[in-house]
Formats: sequence, structure tokens, C-alpha cells
Amino acid sequence: MHDFPTWQIGGLNIDVSTFLAIIISCVIVFVLARVAVSNLSVENPSKIQNFMEWVVEFVHNLIASTMPLSKVKTYLSLGMTLILFIFVSNLLGLPFGIVTEHTEEVKLFGHTLISNEMIQSGIDKGHHGAEVAWWKSPTADVSVTFGLAAIVFFLTHFLGLTRNTKHYLKHYFEPFPFFFPLNVLKELSKPLTLSLRLFANIFAGEVLISTILMAGVWGTPLLAAWQGFSLFVGGVQAFLFTILTMVYIGSAAIHNEEDH
Amino acid sequence: MELLAAAIAIGLGALGAGIGNGMIVSKTVEGISRQPELRGTLQTTMFIGVGIVEVVPIIGVVLAFLMFFKA
Repeated sequence: MHDFPTWQIGGLNIDVSTFLAIIISCVIVFVLARVAVSNLSVENPSKIQNFMEWVVEFVHNLIASTMPLSKVKTYLSLGMTLILFIFVSNLLGLPFGIVTEHTEEVKLFGHTLISNEMIQSGIDKGHHGAEVAWWKSPTADVSVTFGLAAIVFFLTHFLGLTRNTKHYLKHYFEPFPFFFPLNVLKELSKPLTLSLRLFANIFAGEVLISTILMAGVWGTPLLAAWQGFSLFVGGVQAFLFTILTMVYIGSAAIHNEEDH
Repeated sequence: MELLAAAIAIGLGALGAGIGNGMIVSKTVEGISRQPELRGTLQTTMFIGVGIVEVVPIIGVVLAFLMFFKA
């Protein structure tokens, strides 16, 4: 298993490979979106405009299956951002990896990136130094997925409190008042499972890729099959994150007039 | 000893995930056979159900990796 270059600054351990991957993923999604909306045309859409229109329709149907149609447009950009960013992030670690071996400390602008302790533990494991990976999926880091889940958590409770105050506060005591601790536990477990589901799926996929690579050239068909499956898993996890976000927002912020 | 712990974690997780996913997909197939026009909705619900059921076994897989590589 590889180490990751960590930049220790002011008490924080910043993982440089995760930051790099997040920036690259943001740039890819931004460029994709910008290219898709340049030269818009109704009668003669370009291929990428067609693709983006399909994505918008897909996300629109996704949200419409969880909340009433009049409220869908408010959350469309949130859904599109989540699904595009998470899908691109999940795919980032699949095509290649960059691993370097270091026998001495690496410093950048005066800050240690690869410390001597890392090199020592690499030598203890039998390598010639620290094996450091510089490229991975950003969602294979629990801090990134927990950040996304925290955004969703604050969004659902803020929207529930501001747009639906009475029913949002009342649902903690439904169906019976003594259900209150169970309802609180349910609300706390939502960001936990959201983040851990995404992290564990992508992380396990990456560990398996590095395990298959240990077999050398004989593992090539297995690697191809596993990368294909990882493509599918990346897509399903992005879809699942988005639709669960919409379900949570819908249940907290939207009051069905016909129920009461 | 860590190898044994990792093996037990993944094995029991796989058992739970297999049984759970099998029940979900079999009920979905039954539902589609009863009402073929609901195929899209039932498929979407099936994927959501599989995602929710597979969370804990996959957390078990990550813990087993941690134990295996002793990170």
C-alpha cells in the first residue's frame, strides 16, 4: 500500500495527492460544462450539447422521482454538480497511477512533503525507501467524501429549518414522542453512511487495482475486467449519492399539502 | 492473526451482502414480471436498495484492508 505525500502545516495534515486530484477534477468538470454550452443551437445541436442536455434530463427525472414537480427546478443545479463531480472524481484513479520511490526527504518551499519517518517505515517494509503515490481518485479519501456529506447534511437541515420550519421540527416527534432519540440517531447516521458508502466503494476498488498489479503482466485481463466494473461502480455511486441527497432534502424541506 | 481477522470480516460481509442483494433483485424481477410497464421505476429503486444494503459489508471490506495492510 502506498503512502501519500502529506504537507504538515499549522497542525493540519494536508494530503497533496488528494488536493491535486480535486483541482484536476474541478477543472475537468468546468471545462466540460463550458464547452457544452458554447455555440448553443436549437436545430443543430453539437454532440456535446446533446450529451449535456441528456445529463440535465437524467438529473431532472432523478429529482422528479423524489419530490413534487414544482420544486424540482430549485435543486437541479445541486444535483448536476454532485453527479458530475462525483462521477469524474470516481473515474480519475482508474487509468493510471504515479508512484515514486524516495530515499531522502523531499521539501517544497521549505515544507516537508515526504518525511523521514515515512522513508523509515518504507525501508522497514522491505522497499528501498518510501513508495509515494501522487495520483488517486479524490473520493478515495474519506476527508473528501465526508466534506461532500457534510455539505449535504448542512443543506438539508438549513433548508428544513428555513423553508419548512413547523413540519421539520415536528417530524422529530413522529410517530410518537419517545421516538425522538431514534430520529436524532437517524439524522446523524445519514451523513455517516453517505460518506462511508462512497469512500469504501472507491477505496476498495483502488486497493484491488494495486493488488492485481502485483501479478504483473499476467493480471492484464483481470485488470481490464476490474476497471470496467469500477466504471460501473463509479457511475452507480455517483447516482446513488445524488438521489439520496434529493430524498433527504425532499423529506426535510418539502411539505406535501395532501398529506395533512 | 490480522489475516484471520481480515478474512472473517470480508467473509461475513460478503455473506450478508450476497443474501441481501439476492433478495432485493429477486423481488424486483418478480415485480417487473407482474407489471412490465414499471420496469424503469423498479430498476431505479433496486439500485437504491442495493446501495443502501451494501454500505455495511463494504465498510467491513475497508476495515479488512486496514487490518490486512496494518496501516
